[in-house]
Amino acid sequence: MSTATDRRVPDDQVVPGETSTPPGGRSGREALSEMSNPHRARAVKDVVAKVVMWAAFFLAMVPLVWILGTVVAKGFHMLTTATWWTGNQRNINSDDFGGGARHAIEGTLQMVGFTALIAVPIGILTAVYLVEYGRGRLAKAISFTVDILSGVPSIVAALFIYAVWVTAFGFSRSGFAAALALVLLMIPVIVRSTEEMLKLVPNELREAAYALGVPKWATVVKIVLRTAFSGIVTGVLLGIARVMGETAPLLILAPYTKNFQRDLFNGNFPTLPMMINQDRGDFALATAAERMWGAALTLILLVLLLNVIGRVIAHFGAVKK
Amino acid sequence: MSVSRISALGAIALSGALALSACASENNGATPGAGSTAAGSTAAGDCFSGDLKAEGSSAQKNAIDEAIKAYQTACADANIDYQPTGSGAGIKQFIAKQVDFAGSDSALKTEPKDGKIEADDAKASCGTEAWNLPMVTGPIAIAYNVKGVDKLVLNAEVAAKIFDGKITTWNDPAIAALNKGVTLPATPIKVFFRSDESGTTENFTKYLKAAAPDAWSYETGKKWTGKGEGKEKSAGVATATKGQDGGITYVELSYAQQNQLPMAQIDTGSGPVELTAESAGKTIATAKQTGMGNNLALKIDYATKEAGAYPIVLVTYEIVCSKYADAETGKKVKSFLKTFASDEVQKGLEAKGYAPLPTEVATKVQAAVDAIS
Repeated sequence: MSTATDRRVPDDQVVPGETSTPPGGRSGREALSEMSNPHRARAVKDVVAKVVMWAAFFLAMVPLVWILGTVVAKGFHMLTTATWWTGNQRNINSDDFGGGARHAIEGTLQMVGFTALIAVPIGILTAVYLVEYGRGRLAKAISFTVDILSGVPSIVAALFIYAVWVTAFGFSRSGFAAALALVLLMIPVIVRSTEEMLKLVPNELREAAYALGVPKWATVVKIVLRTAFSGIVTGVLLGIARVMGETAPLLILAPYTKNFQRDLFNGNFPTLPMMINQDRGDFALATAAERMWGAALTLILLVLLLNVIGRVIAHFGAVKK
Repeated sequence: MSVSRISALGAIALSGALALSACASENNGATPGAGSTAAGSTAAGDCFSGDLKAEGSSAQKNAIDEAIKAYQTACADANIDYQPTGSGAGIKQFIAKQVDFAGSDSALKTEPKDGKIEADDAKASCGTEAWNLPMVTGPIAIAYNVKGVDKLVLNAEVAAKIFDGKITTWNDPAIAALNKGVTLPATPIKVFFRSDESGTTENFTKYLKAAAPDAWSYETGKKWTGKGEGKEKSAGVATATKGQDGGITYVELSYAQQNQLPMAQIDTGSGPVELTAESAGKTIATAKQTGMGNNLALKIDYATKEAGAYPIVLVTYEIVCSKYADAETGKKVKSFLKTFASDEVQKGLEAKGYAPLPTEVATKVQAAVDAIS
């Protein structure tokens, strides 16, 4: 690593020298053709690098644009139908046109909101402990556990909750059970992102607070968390975006219903990913396929909307410089 | 512009359907005696409010969706959900008390399999005997997709060899012998099977085993044991076949119709039989009841040689507790299944690719549903 950097340094130093040297004055190391026009070689390198960079950029953009384009093109007109934002899928069978997605939109928001309600405090407080208080074995153990938790596949989290909540405790599958699995997936994302944000808060701020006689807890609440606020919000939103489209826990723990359902604790629960999954089963039918794309676009828009809201909160909540 | 036109069309279609169903129920009310358990009348007087959860066979999804629609239209406070996750999953969730009743393409097993006897587990879970109620008969189509071949005749032996990978091209002499005058291409045969545990697979393999025991040496069961490429659920195999020239699969009639796939005629020994609700019904009528009393498990004679009988059929059951621990749940199940078994709903299923229950069976099912508590 270091040797590579070292070698590059002299080359870089040669470059500015070259520009000032007249064409004829270049060393014999260079090929004859390049000697006739020293700018050309660099121009070619520049163009090649640019082309490669842009090609890589477009290559990375292809799937994104493709996915968004397909979903918007196929799903947009469902969103403009009269019942999409107000109705549910009750009595709409797979070969019937239309119906609404409101039950699933509300269900997804409610479930994710509930998940965030549990996961965000736990996640942020864990991060505060790890950065501000935690020393020694316990902190290491917690940090290690969070690492493991962040590597747990969603299906494993779902099966774990199924084993505990349904098999061992004997409860029914419900929206709440799925929310528990989502909590497991959301906590590590929030801990890690909050931790990074808290580490970015300059130590001088803490020291200044202590110097003024502010107790530690007040320093954490009023100075550290306040300074890192916008970053924490971004982290929370990343966590929400992570769990919002998560399907495995829903498949196992929260059977879909076509009806409105606001009770997280009893009965089946409507969510957008499950609505997509339900209609995916019949996607050979134009009516079901349209609903599937519509639900997919709605989910994307929902995540987008949350991101925008988060940006706004972060913007207005940020400490004025 | 086009959007508003479509939604307008939808609205018209919807109001049309409403008007039709209104007409239908009026007609039923006016006809004395016929269909004493007609959906409208039963449900209206016997509505429950709350949730009813069911899960299981994807083969009966389109049928139960219709029944749910009929019930929910009459009963505004009732929410009925059916998860089409497959017969195996449905029975497991029923035994685990996660759903109120299960849909299954085969009756609960009475012999041990993997160390468990389904019927006993279900009985233990219910506290009383669990009943198999045949509710929908679904003919299984051998659907194919070969360019230029609109009509295809197969028999059990050739079908078994195709699904076992022994016959690999469409112009194989064995197929040609059954299809004189049809030009078969040399396209390789691509078999698609159900990768999930499925009652359709079980009934199809039972047919192959019964009608061509020499050509089909595998065990019958919910898991596919032949050759080919696995796809998930009925929709998966149907869509895969539609997208593959040379493709062939076994799938319920409704899915073959939805995907506009051509279906093979079956030569049972008394001439090729086309798949219709009627020809499938003939086979069901020859079935024997194996359960006792209200437990109406049926044994289908897949090797039937009766003229005009299409032999590959499945009977899909609703698996219920004879007496529910929670009386309220029992009432809900009974009320909904009454609608499902009613003549009106059963007749409507024909348009969805199912065959109505033969009258004799339907009467028994209606009596059994009445006995649920």
